[in-house]
Amino acid sequence: MNDLIKKVTQLLDDKTINVFIGYGQGTASRIRTIFVKNSSQVENLVYTSDCTANLAGYLLKHEVKKIGKLGILANDSALRSMMQLASEFQIKDGEVYVLHAAKDGSFTEFADFQSIEAYLVTIDTGITSDEQERIAKLEAMTVKERWIFWNKEFEKCIKCYACRAACPMCYCHRCTTDVNQPQWIPVASHEQGNLDYHLMRAMHLAGRCVNCGECANACPMDIPLNLLTYQLIAPIRTTFDATAGMKADAVYALSTFKPDDKENFII
Amino acid sequence: MSRIGVFVCHCGENISATVDCEKVARISGELKGVEFSADYKYMCSDPGQTMLKDAIREHKLDGVVVAACSPRMHEPTFRNACAEAGLNPYLCEMSNIREHCSWVHPKSDLTTDKAESLVRVMVEKVKKNKALNSIKVPVTRTALVIGGGVAGIQAALDIANCGHKVVMVEKLPSIGGHMSQLSETFPTLDCSQCILTPRMVEVAQHPNITLYTYAEVESVDGFIGNFKVKVRKKSKSLDEHLCTGCGLCTTKCPQKKIPNEFERGLGFRPAIYVPFPQAVPNKPVIDRENCTYYIKGKCKVCEIVCPTKAIRFDQEDEIVEVDCGAIVLATGFDVLKPDFFPEYGYGKYKDVIDGLQFERLASASGPTQGMIRRPSDGEIPKKIVFVACAGSRDPAKGIEYCSKICCMYTAKHAMLYKHKVHDGTPYVFYMDIRAGGKNYEEFVRRAIVEDETHYVRGRVSTIYEKNGKLIVKGVDTLMGAQPVEIEADMVVLATAGVANKGSEELAQTVHVSYDAHKFFAEAHPKLKPVETNTAGIFLAGACQAPKDIPESVAAASGAAVKVAALFSNDLLTREPLIAVVNRQAPPVYSSCVGCFLCQSVCPYQAIEREEIKNRNGEVIRTLAKVNEGLCQGCGTCVALCRTKAIDIYGYSNQQVYSEIMALLND
Ligand SMILES: Cc1cc2nc3c(=O)[nH]c(=O)nc-3n(C[C@H](O)[C@H](O)[C@H](O)COP(=O)(O)OP(=O)(O)OC[C@H]3O[C@@H](n4cnc5c(N)ncnc54)[C@H](O)[C@@H]3O)c2cc1C
Ligand code: SF4
Ligand code: SF4
Ligand code: SF4
Repeated sequence: MNDLIKKVTQLLDDKTINVFIGYGQGTASRIRTIFVKNSSQVENLVYTSDCTANLAGYLLKHEVKKIGKLGILANDSALRSMMQLASEFQIKDGEVYVLHAAKDGSFTEFADFQSIEAYLVTIDTGITSDEQERIAKLEAMTVKERWIFWNKEFEKCIKCYACRAACPMCYCHRCTTDVNQPQWIPVASHEQGNLDYHLMRAMHLAGRCVNCGECANACPMDIPLNLLTYQLIAPIRTTFDATAGMKADAVYALSTFKPDDKENFII
Repeated sequence: MSRIGVFVCHCGENISATVDCEKVARISGELKGVEFSADYKYMCSDPGQTMLKDAIREHKLDGVVVAACSPRMHEPTFRNACAEAGLNPYLCEMSNIREHCSWVHPKSDLTTDKAESLVRVMVEKVKKNKALNSIKVPVTRTALVIGGGVAGIQAALDIANCGHKVVMVEKLPSIGGHMSQLSETFPTLDCSQCILTPRMVEVAQHPNITLYTYAEVESVDGFIGNFKVKVRKKSKSLDEHLCTGCGLCTTKCPQKKIPNEFERGLGFRPAIYVPFPQAVPNKPVIDRENCTYYIKGKCKVCEIVCPTKAIRFDQEDEIVEVDCGAIVLATGFDVLKPDFFPEYGYGKYKDVIDGLQFERLASASGPTQGMIRRPSDGEIPKKIVFVACAGSRDPAKGIEYCSKICCMYTAKHAMLYKHKVHDGTPYVFYMDIRAGGKNYEEFVRRAIVEDETHYVRGRVSTIYEKNGKLIVKGVDTLMGAQPVEIEADMVVLATAGVANKGSEELAQTVHVSYDAHKFFAEAHPKLKPVETNTAGIFLAGACQAPKDIPESVAAASGAAVKVAALFSNDLLTREPLIAVVNRQAPPVYSSCVGCFLCQSVCPYQAIEREEIKNRNGEVIRTLAKVNEGLCQGCGTCVALCRTKAIDIYGYSNQQVYSEIMALLND
């Protein structure tokens, strides 16, 4: 912890960065994101086992970007989000100062994308056993049962778009939901509108989602949104041998064609 | 309020037999925004088109729907008619009530209902259509001919003689293709080399033709009129400018026992070699796989003996870029490989050979100087069996088609044999004799009557060796399936003509389609036999299907005319149905977020990056932008863009949405 405070103080003092995105104490026992702009605010930084949120999404927010040069406390998910964002030309190498928070509580500085990539190949990109269990349950259902399950879940949606705001990959200035000429996705939060929105969200994240779980965490209605996007990860991995957020110069699996791509899913 | 005209065609009885066209016109006339509607027997006919033009003028129509056949067939016809009447052609749409309706459903009210729906959909679309102007792009007047067989040679010479530049790329060290291996040719029995070699030389010397031998196409980008091709010139280990073609190196090379591909393994060649004496260019290449120097690091005998010091052991492959406006594919065919016929003993018995090997034996410049001698012991065979359809027309073997050339060359082989071995007896096993073609039937008759060839109708079941003879077992189906057994001295298999190895990869590189047998596919079997489905790429010769020389040459001249027609314009007119990335006033600029996923998905490399700069010249946004010349309007990017920043002219989101709504809100 002292290491973190010392490092961030130094970065702000010597103007390497203008703002550091990290974790702070929220109301009650909650952890929230804080933006440290000078050394007097550094003491507000905390780092505990509850600090699991993926902060990478803030890197693209206009309000944050305009402060100046950014530094970030990045966990594994945030590193992967950053690599995916880089592959989509949203951040450039050297633009962001990256301090990696490892699971054991130690902090390491990553000088460039290459070192992040080198680190990422050593980590487990799978999902937790709890999530695996829930997905297995979903997969054990018949198509009809699954359809009923998801429609029931989507019925709860109030279209607050917290999931969209929380997702680091939802960075479009104008989401398709906001396009009204023509209005492909109905805005109303009725059965059809909700289903259309969630199918669209899942499809837009196919091959890009790094399974950080922020969408499900953000949802006030407790919809297990992450299970939907997770289920698209495995087929893309097995079919195209591609995993999102591993390389800064990766080409999107769903936008490329290789002669040896499997075609067994075409009927 | 729109003023749309709906024109319902009967297509003779093609549509009206199952659809009540009159009713479709009447109901459509009541749709909101439809000003005029009519039906007619043949809308595409002159009176039909006149009716459409008159209605446009008289009723001041601002949109037209023609309910008829597929737009592939007549969209240009009706768009032109609209333009002649002063209406922007892109305000005209076709509703396909033939292929999509009348042809696939029985006569019933439901079929008529469907036709009405299809018209309604298009009426809603047309309401959102915008007037568009066609795009003009320049044409690069250079043609690339891939393959230097007789077809490629003919195409190249024809195009070059029209005054256009040609680049020819040939995989092997010499041009000539299979024809250069043939002895005499049916149906005239003129010497193959004698008619071909002057043309090969003409290619090499033509001021408009650039020839790259020992070269292959690496990649093809761009589109009709403006292709960008990368050609890999494989290293010949030779400075071609210094080499005089004296051939001294080839006589001194210590590697002498390499099976000669040109002789189909019936002779040998050194590691530095010219494939055959009349080769063009007549300069050697080093076959690095068999050269002692490349294997062991020592030798260089050729370098020592070369009087002009032309050998270059360290020469590397060279990539040349060719800008061209059209491409002619003339990569020819191959014949089935020996391992295909275990039952005929090919590869096991030396005296079972294929047709091309027989051509080499019969050729005056071949390994036996034109004497028919069998490979095993050099004896002159007294009894010879020719087996037609070896592999062809055999669904069990996966080749259900007829290779077309074998009946004729087998008759030729029997004749050539008889002309050289007067006391010999030739037999031909055949399924049917296919001799359609000018003077072809007469040619086969001559083989049977004058040259006393014994034709046996039936398939050969096995061939095996016994006491130095090849026992050919089959049946004669004209004698009531009576078994036949012939003790032959030599057997010649007319093996099936197949697509080249690697033709699939080449098709993918060049972006053309191919059929189930990996032959390149024509755009239309009857009306577009030398075009491919990719604009600006044409087919010549046996790369499309097995063909004989007259057919290959005719196709090549056909392809050449297509190229010349393309090159006869300065500018190429293209349909403006292309993608566009939206632009808005600052500070928004565009809803594009610059993820460039569209860039990797575009199959035509049509998406570019545009940097938006502020007054100080700093880049504030990088946005996607579609290159008008490259975009083919496939719409792939539109489907991929998450933020719907891309739209496509003529098939905009608005138009498609209106169409769907027209159906759903019925
Ligand atoms: C045994 C036999 C006897 C025949 N006898 C007769 C006859 O008597 N009369 C007659 O009319 N027809 C005859 N034919 C048919 C004749 O050979 C063909 O019609 C003719 O060769 C077709 O010419 P082509 O140029 O299309 O193909 P090919 O002759 O096959 O030439 C294709 C050329 O393209 C080159 N090539 C291939 N792939 C590539 C690539 N990827 N890049 C660059 N270059 C490439 C090849 O090296 C070759 O030079 C006979 C055929 C056979 C097998
Ligand atoms: S966060 Fe939950 S409630 Fe809000 S839009 Fe997303 S799914 Fe619906
Ligand atoms: S996919 Fe859409 S948002 Fe992304 S670069 Fe292309 S046009 Fe822009
Ligand atoms: S429509 Fe889009 S993907 Fe297709 S060629 Fe044009 S730019 Fe490329």
